[in-house]
Amino acid sequence: MYMKLDKIDFTILEMLTKDARTSFREIARRLQVSPDTISKRFEKLKKEGVIVDSTVIIDPRKIGYSFTARFGIDVKPTYSSQALEEIIKIPSVIVASKLVGKYDLISIIVVKSFQHLCELRENILEMPYIEKVETGMWINTMKLCPHYFLI
Amino acid sequence: MSDIRIDEVNVKLLRMLQNDARTSFKDIANECNVSLDTIKNRFNNLKKNGVIRGSTIVIDPKKMGQGNLVIIGIQVVQQFSESVLNMIKKMQGLCFVTKSIGQYDIEAIFLLKDIEQIGITKEKIENFPQVKVADVGIFVDRPLLCPKNFEFE
Repeated sequence: MYMKLDKIDFTILEMLTKDARTSFREIARRLQVSPDTISKRFEKLKKEGVIVDSTVIIDPRKIGYSFTARFGIDVKPTYSSQALEEIIKIPSVIVASKLVGKYDLISIIVVKSFQHLCELRENILEMPYIEKVETGMWINTMKLCPHYFLI
Repeated sequence: MSDIRIDEVNVKLLRMLQNDARTSFKDIANECNVSLDTIKNRFNNLKKNGVIRGSTIVIDPKKMGQGNLVIIGIQVVQQFSESVLNMIKKMQGLCFVTKSIGQYDIEAIFLLKDIEQIGITKEKIENFPQVKVADVGIFVDRPLLCPKNFEFE
């Protein structure tokens, strides 16, 4: 099931997780192989779906957001996929997923103000199939990085 | 609030890098109709001002056999959130933990190998004397990550 990964693959993943813009030449130098090898491996890791994406990590506070919140969402049975697709489109939603357990869906959002939080909650409540939205406001004690979620 | 001005060039630069962190500065410069040096300077400034904290690749944990993401909502006996938080920080598989206002006092996200590990982790948290409730939610599939959904002012 799993793609077999060797030292070269792991080094690529490790270095790019820390800095996605690391040049293939630099990775190649560390491993003492050619940049071409790294380039080919990188493409393969992408093709196999091990590497899904790359992104810059932006500090939400520096661009006008004041805190992060989590919505736990209950959905009409069997409609969670449809609801999820709509929720991920909402600006401010940075992570969304189906959940097994307490809620049907979870979404993590960046929020500008309490007013903004209420609007987001109401937006979701007005969507079809949504039954309940429960909120947790996160008092950030750790920086939220996408790679915390996706390693 | 920061002093940095998020103008049109900065927004484009950030958007392109959010979509693909490896986009070359040359491509961004072309898209914005400015020089390569301008983009390099802008990027360095955004980093210096802390708007860009870094960059990373998104890995599918399932493809690596690493298991499931789990969120645990924890209710704590009054005044003890700090000490419970510190205990949780030491736990294996932890990705993220935060204090929370709402139904739970603390919320933590773990990456755990299998159901057995999830059970052990939940029990461990429930065994802290200051913990009242630990509710578990398991992420199904890879969570959709949408860093694009930041709106710039």
